[in-house]
Amino acid sequence: MEDHEAQEQEFWRKLEEGEMSRSQMLKRSVAAAAGLTVLGSTGAAFASRGFAGAAAPPLKGNSISLKELIAEAKKEGHLNTIALPPDWANYGEIMSTFQKKYGLAITNDNPDGSSAQENQAITSLKGDSRAPDVVDVGPSFAVAGAAAGLYGKYFPTTFSTIPRAMKDTRGLWYGDYWGAISIGYNQNLISNGPATWKDLLKPEYKGKVALNGSPLASNSAVSGVIAASLANGGSLADVGPGIDFFATMKKSGNFIPVQTTGATVASGQTPISIDWDYNNLAYVTEFPAARWKVNIPSDGVYGGYYAQAINSSAPHPWSARLWEEFIYSDQGQLLYLKGFAHPARFNDLANRKKIPSSLLSALPSPALYAKAKFASLGQQSAAKAKIATDWPAKVGA
Amino acid sequence: MAWVATVPFFAYALLFLFLPAASVLIGAFQKDTSGYTLENVRALFHHPYIDAYWGSIKLSLITAALGGVAGLFIAYAALREGTPKWIRSTLTTFSGVAANFGGIPLAFAFIATLGPLGVLTVFLKNQLHFDLTAHGFSLFSMTGIALAYLYFQLPLMILVIAPAIDGLRKEWREASSNLGASQFQFWRYVGVPVLMPSILGAIILLFGNAFAAYATAYGINSGANLITIFIGSYYSGNVLNNPHLAQAMAFGMFMVLGLMMLFYIPLQRRAARWAK
Amino acid sequence: MAPSAVFWLLLGGLYFFIPLLTTLLFSLKSNQTGKCCTAANYSWVIHNGEFWHTLKISFLLALETIAISLALFVPTIYWVHLKVPKLRPVLASLALIPFVVPPIVMVVGLLKFYKGAPSWFYGQPWGFLAGAYVILAFPYMFFSLDAGFRSIDVHTLTEASQSLGAKWTTTLFKVILPNIRSAALAGSFLALAIVMGEYTIANLGAFHTFPIFIQYVNETQGFPAGALTLLSFGITWAAMASLLLVGRKRGARAAVITGAR
Repeated sequence: MEDHEAQEQEFWRKLEEGEMSRSQMLKRSVAAAAGLTVLGSTGAAFASRGFAGAAAPPLKGNSISLKELIAEAKKEGHLNTIALPPDWANYGEIMSTFQKKYGLAITNDNPDGSSAQENQAITSLKGDSRAPDVVDVGPSFAVAGAAAGLYGKYFPTTFSTIPRAMKDTRGLWYGDYWGAISIGYNQNLISNGPATWKDLLKPEYKGKVALNGSPLASNSAVSGVIAASLANGGSLADVGPGIDFFATMKKSGNFIPVQTTGATVASGQTPISIDWDYNNLAYVTEFPAARWKVNIPSDGVYGGYYAQAINSSAPHPWSARLWEEFIYSDQGQLLYLKGFAHPARFNDLANRKKIPSSLLSALPSPALYAKAKFASLGQQSAAKAKIATDWPAKVGA
Repeated sequence: MAWVATVPFFAYALLFLFLPAASVLIGAFQKDTSGYTLENVRALFHHPYIDAYWGSIKLSLITAALGGVAGLFIAYAALREGTPKWIRSTLTTFSGVAANFGGIPLAFAFIATLGPLGVLTVFLKNQLHFDLTAHGFSLFSMTGIALAYLYFQLPLMILVIAPAIDGLRKEWREASSNLGASQFQFWRYVGVPVLMPSILGAIILLFGNAFAAYATAYGINSGANLITIFIGSYYSGNVLNNPHLAQAMAFGMFMVLGLMMLFYIPLQRRAARWAK
Repeated sequence: MAPSAVFWLLLGGLYFFIPLLTTLLFSLKSNQTGKCCTAANYSWVIHNGEFWHTLKISFLLALETIAISLALFVPTIYWVHLKVPKLRPVLASLALIPFVVPPIVMVVGLLKFYKGAPSWFYGQPWGFLAGAYVILAFPYMFFSLDAGFRSIDVHTLTEASQSLGAKWTTTLFKVILPNIRSAALAGSFLALAIVMGEYTIANLGAFHTFPIFIQYVNETQGFPAGALTLLSFGITWAAMASLLLVGRKRGARAAVITGAR
């Protein structure tokens, strides 16, 4: 596990420091392509042995026509997904559109599952027809899953338009959407809404500010702490000020350690919620009684993405690949945007002028998103480690 | 040879309890790569894990004691003669449901009642001018979580102690009052000693129940310093990922309960002598 | 009624009732306006197919768990009390293990261990999940039944029954069982509640039971979550009450036959 992660981090580091010359990059990609072709054929050989009778699923989306892919997927007739809440980044509509478009039924298991559980399900349900075909996990779990051999290689047709920093070059995982940490609030209970991290310290918000879970267990919460750190003199490499910020809020009584859920938002028990923008924005229409409004705090904008991967022992490998093709098609990516999440191929779509203005205007100002900072995997690990040791003492019960 | 009849039970326990539990305990000593290590278990004795153990133990002791005593009184109140029969069946059936009413629904019910914006909190502040927060109460503290825990601890005590209370024959009370003993003397020399083994067993059960509880605590205070919440974070969270450390924590829980048993067995033996 | 009894029952009643009242108030609010009063949330739950489907599965699973538990534990505990009292502390210690290994970690052991098992066992809730639930119910069953057996004189009853010429099975069913009826019922109640409330193992084993549905609604829906909480509470309570009635009828008959106290 350490090997691959170290390689990835080394590559990014070199890239950032501009050490890699153009010729070095070219040499690397040629080698990678050659390696991929070699690996591709062995992969196909393995696959054909495993799936007795059925054709081997392809390595690349563009090596097979969509019609063929759909036909093979229809023979399998089913797709197992896991941990996809219907109100998270519009997955409800994405799943129903997929089902209707291709006539494939989806079984969505454990909708509130965690990334760890998704990877565990691949292992514990291996060989069972209930195993998940595709997963949507946080980046550190994507790297861990790839290293543990949980994922199968696949390059969706539009793979090249996914940003380099959001994918695994071996085709084991690829980012599907990203969001920025936002502050949502209930206008019935909060007359003067918080627009920045600094605002949250106001005494009028006593007993009102909540995260979407604990930073020890929730990716959204960790990201909230990192974002707070950016706004309080910290950086992507130093999450300490973020932890201290929440410690201050806890002492003043502003911060309540309740996890935000639909029920707490609707009932007004968590009048202010720090969460991904796509979650907060979804609450606006989901719970009209709460008159929810969303701001992206201008003093600390932090972005994070999630990644798709295919189970290496998927019970329905063709359906899995069809799902990825759908997710990364223009239609699929725009459905994410409809759910207020920025699709991975956002820049590509914008350049080709494929984004309807109605979708864009439903989101907060692009100027704020342009400020978004993304932590590298190394920075994320360091932040998590520091939170794991410092948070329980400073902010825990 | 008499023990042969217990074989089906032990066989079942082996298949569904020992072997799975053993695989977890072995996992506590394994490394992510291959091989064995003590470092996971050694880490448990440091912050923040040791605080989490202590938090869980404190919470479990408090709710076991409170739940045990209050549950005993409530059960006795419902089961004694003089109390209408419908109270007994209502209490028993309700306790059956409430004993397993936990997790997010219970957490939400308490947040909506006693949280900073809860119905009862607001009512007390506005109508009775009694500010809970100003008096130091927070639902998110260990006290608040304990209050929520009682919702399933009390019913558990009631259900487990009810058969034992039933066994307190009415004739004993009559005999004791005929002999001139007061209420207090009856309880001190007959009632409590007879009930003691069951009370002890029930309190251990309550301790274990609270110790392993997870969803309710997480629903109220997702960052509470409880060992089960830590296990959840390290084993099946979205942030940390260290299953072997989580299994080591489970191993630690085993040790804690093993220690409780060491206290329990000699106490049981003493109490059983009286019960005979 | 004794005044102390009134005090404790009132205190207990208030404590249990108020959170339920809060949930009720919450469940009657409308999603559009946030104010009282609408039945729309209850209607949402009742018209939801998943609600009935998962409720049926969990209910049947509970009955199966109770049946297996009683069949396995009653004879064993009876035997231990009668013939092998030295094994009692062993059983008591075993009864704590399902508590100590938290479900999150236990289920992984179970899944790892039974991965290769035939699909009728591993893929169906009636096999794998029921097996796990019997173990979960074991501590509660044990301490209930143990208290029950302790409160009757096992040796005298057995000797009397056998001296009258009864076989072991007759003794067990016609003499012992009616006398520990309340303990067995208490254990069964707990087993029912456990199955209707157990989330972790069903979740990680990819089964679709009622608690899974409850958790899903609580995480994603707003006001219907309150409606579902109360409905599930009410349904489980009704199930308990019917168990009680069933137990009472049979108990009364048996008591008449054996002339028990």
